[in-house]
Amino acid sequence: MKGADYVLKRLAFAVLTVFIAVTINFALFRLAPGSAVTNLARVPHATPETRLALKRQFGLDKSRFQQYVIYLQQLAHGNLGISFANSQPVTDNLRTALINSLPMVFLGTLFAIVFGTLTGIISAWRRGTTVEGVTVTTALGFYSMPTHWLGLMLVILFAGVLPTGGMSNEFLINPSFWTHVKDLGEHILLPALTLGLVLFGEYTLIVRSAMLETLGEDYVLTARAKGLRPAAILRRHALRNALLPITTLVALSLGYIVAGAILIETVFSWPGIGRAVYDAVLQRDYPMLQGAFLVLTVSVVLCNLIADLLYFRLDPRITE
Amino acid sequence: MSVAAREPGAVIEQAPIRSRPGIVWQAIRKRPSAIVGATILGVVILGALLAPVLAPYDVHEQVGPVFGHPSWSHPVGLDDGGIDMLSLLMWGARVSLLVGFAATFVSMVIGGTIGVASGYFGGRTDTILMRITDYFLVIPDVPLMIVVAAIWGPSLFHIIIVIGILLWTSTARVIRAQVKSVRERVYVKRARALGAGHTRIVWSHVLPQVAPLLIANTVLTIAVAIFDETALAFLGLGDPSRVSLGKIIENAFQRAAISTGAWWAIVPPGLLVAAIILSCSLIGGAIEDALNPRLRVAHLAARSFRLRPLVGRGSEAV
Amino acid sequence: MTLLALDDLHVWFDLGEGRELHAVQGVSLELEPGQRLGLVGESGCGKTTTVLGLLGLLPPSASVAGRVLLNSVDILAGGEESIRPHRWTDLAIVFQGAMNALNPVQTVEAQIVEALELHGRASGRAARVRVGELLEAVGIPRDRATRYPHEFSGGMRQRAAIAMALACNPSVLVADEPTTALDVMVQAQILELLDSLCRDFGLALLLVTHDLPVVAQLCDRAAVMYAGEIVEQGPVDALFHDPRHPYTRLLFAATPDLHGHDALASIPGSPPRLDRLVEGCPFAPRCDRAFDRCAVQRPLLRELDAGREAACHLNDVLAVTA
Repeated sequence: MKGADYVLKRLAFAVLTVFIAVTINFALFRLAPGSAVTNLARVPHATPETRLALKRQFGLDKSRFQQYVIYLQQLAHGNLGISFANSQPVTDNLRTALINSLPMVFLGTLFAIVFGTLTGIISAWRRGTTVEGVTVTTALGFYSMPTHWLGLMLVILFAGVLPTGGMSNEFLINPSFWTHVKDLGEHILLPALTLGLVLFGEYTLIVRSAMLETLGEDYVLTARAKGLRPAAILRRHALRNALLPITTLVALSLGYIVAGAILIETVFSWPGIGRAVYDAVLQRDYPMLQGAFLVLTVSVVLCNLIADLLYFRLDPRITE
Repeated sequence: MSVAAREPGAVIEQAPIRSRPGIVWQAIRKRPSAIVGATILGVVILGALLAPVLAPYDVHEQVGPVFGHPSWSHPVGLDDGGIDMLSLLMWGARVSLLVGFAATFVSMVIGGTIGVASGYFGGRTDTILMRITDYFLVIPDVPLMIVVAAIWGPSLFHIIIVIGILLWTSTARVIRAQVKSVRERVYVKRARALGAGHTRIVWSHVLPQVAPLLIANTVLTIAVAIFDETALAFLGLGDPSRVSLGKIIENAFQRAAISTGAWWAIVPPGLLVAAIILSCSLIGGAIEDALNPRLRVAHLAARSFRLRPLVGRGSEAV
Repeated sequence: MTLLALDDLHVWFDLGEGRELHAVQGVSLELEPGQRLGLVGESGCGKTTTVLGLLGLLPPSASVAGRVLLNSVDILAGGEESIRPHRWTDLAIVFQGAMNALNPVQTVEAQIVEALELHGRASGRAARVRVGELLEAVGIPRDRATRYPHEFSGGMRQRAAIAMALACNPSVLVADEPTTALDVMVQAQILELLDSLCRDFGLALLLVTHDLPVVAQLCDRAAVMYAGEIVEQGPVDALFHDPRHPYTRLLFAATPDLHGHDALASIPGSPPRLDRLVEGCPFAPRCDRAFDRCAVQRPLLRELDAGREAACHLNDVLAVTA
């Protein structure tokens, strides 16, 4: 059946991509300058025995290929190593971090999708007018701003009004449920808004471009000839078809979202996976860095896969 | 082709333009947005190039207090080391642009080669190269850059290579598509039939057609490269010995410019980066538009056609 | 009562920078119930723009003047708002076969149901039954209704488009190059289909095409367009045997086998640009019978006999010398 065919192909592609990322990860850290021991098994204040044990655990006394196999085996068991910084398993650190990141990234992306789509449609609809000029310029403006800089701008603007660091107020003692929620809400606002604004620019341009494309299609003329009103045509014919290129392009923006998350969490000291990357770089915590890279890559590949499958559902012409 | 587009009156924009010399210049000249972009970029590049000559102060010399306020002698104030911000911006732009252009060059070479090889030879070469491109396309750029930069160590050269190695994917795809279409054109087939070698054909037939698109892509890639450099610098992975615009922002952030209220240490460098990226986007977008105009008429728009009252007929009385 | 009449229709397109393209220059047509009129001419002569103007389907850059009289009521007077109610219920259109005229992400059934529900002809289950009937009337098996357009061949897509056009029982069917870009075999089938449908449902047909044998097969009368205006109009056979405009004569002469399928041979030269005023007769540069008056004075469309008109100075000369 052609549907299952397509799904399997995309699944295989996703798996292969992750595999390649894993291999790159391995290669980078093993081929890094400096002894592999220093890079990977460096645990402060380790005794020679510990070091030897670690060496054996990571198979650093074996050939490169064997090391690779061991690495894959470790990965299969969910063992990403031990963080240098807090001596906790990387997996645990990352799990917490990822859970912290998700609400912020989700809110920001949602904001961008909703408002980006609205302005994109409006600017395509009002082509050739000042409205279009203004929206496109605004979108380009936000798109051009470095993510972290925009975050800093918001900090400058809202310092004193909204919290600008961390995920919650640590000085609250036994807060009630609603106080806690409100506190979280205040903290999540600026980081999510930063992400939202930066993505909003890009999405506006994407949606506008997709809409302009569909508005020139012949079936829109047919719909008009049938006597449909503009709103109905926009909704049922133009927008519905524009969803296809929009899905593709939003999927391509995932890398941008990840980059944005890293920068924003650094600016706002948000304890998410982006911040984990920053800290890992600062502290030369290589296991964490490796692990974070892997988690981020797998997330992006997964989202891409979802986008592919979504596209498949949206477009009946896919037979490949 | 669309119904309405077949009638001469309905073709509002021109027919698709085959690349010809001067089209890039023309595309920029005709669009006000591109002119603005080109002007801004020109000014910035000029300022950066002439920094050694034009910068009012030495960027290694402290000329006032830490985070000194903007004044007549220091229009953009002083940074965390008491150094004049304006001079710092000029030198910083120099480094940022250098990284941007160099990294773009690297990515253009890689992407262009892969794109041309893929599009021109087709077949298995194409499939293999495109597969590789697809994987790189999906793997998120910035995390990989971070990892590589962290391991390899910060230096300008490393940063340039790291960025360049990850930006080629979109170029490769775009070039490949264009090369494929050029390859099918009559004069190329004729040249091949006459026995012209591949190199010759690529050089004299394919490349000229591909050049404008390559230029547009280059400009847009510069924007991304500068963004990436800024991001890497902010995360502490920039070259510590060279101060780029991204590094200026990072310094200010690290030295608590915000809590001190020294907005002039943060806003201007970011604004400058945004201006550069915006300019590149406008220029690149304008060239792309010129090469690929929207031939179609919008079948649906906010306004509808207008009615004109019927004037008297022409004066040709029989 | 004349079912449909175009009275001195003009269409201009705004080209920006103050320039305008006068695409349709005073076209007048009449269509009686059940009658079939062919609108012929080279590519770019304004015939498609004319029918788009008739249905009010022009882009915002267009300006329109003149009247579109449906049962003696000017539906163009109020612009988009006054035309829209008549779309599909009185005037339906079928576009060129190669076009993407059907929405690729909706089933054929859904699109026809949309038309039925929009104009209150049927809804829900009844609508789907009606869709089945319409499809069978055009020769598409009922069970194919839930397929997507890309699953149909070009000819079947065109049939589906015709079925959709008939959904709300219009009195006029406009067909814009319905068989161009289809296979020769399929062309014949579609033409036969149009013929029988128009007969069975009593439809008036306005057929736009550059293909003369098509006109000969389907239409009683034809109007020949050149450079945005009608240069001759009359019964098809009369146009062939006794053309009163050099363009008509050359056009028909270039198609020796009117009842065959030879492609239209082209007349040397090209039509004038429509973004500037033309002095004299627009066809004069390409005309083999032009004389001094032709370059100076524009010929008006004049009635010659009952049901025939032409715009050519030669007719005056003939009249004088007759």
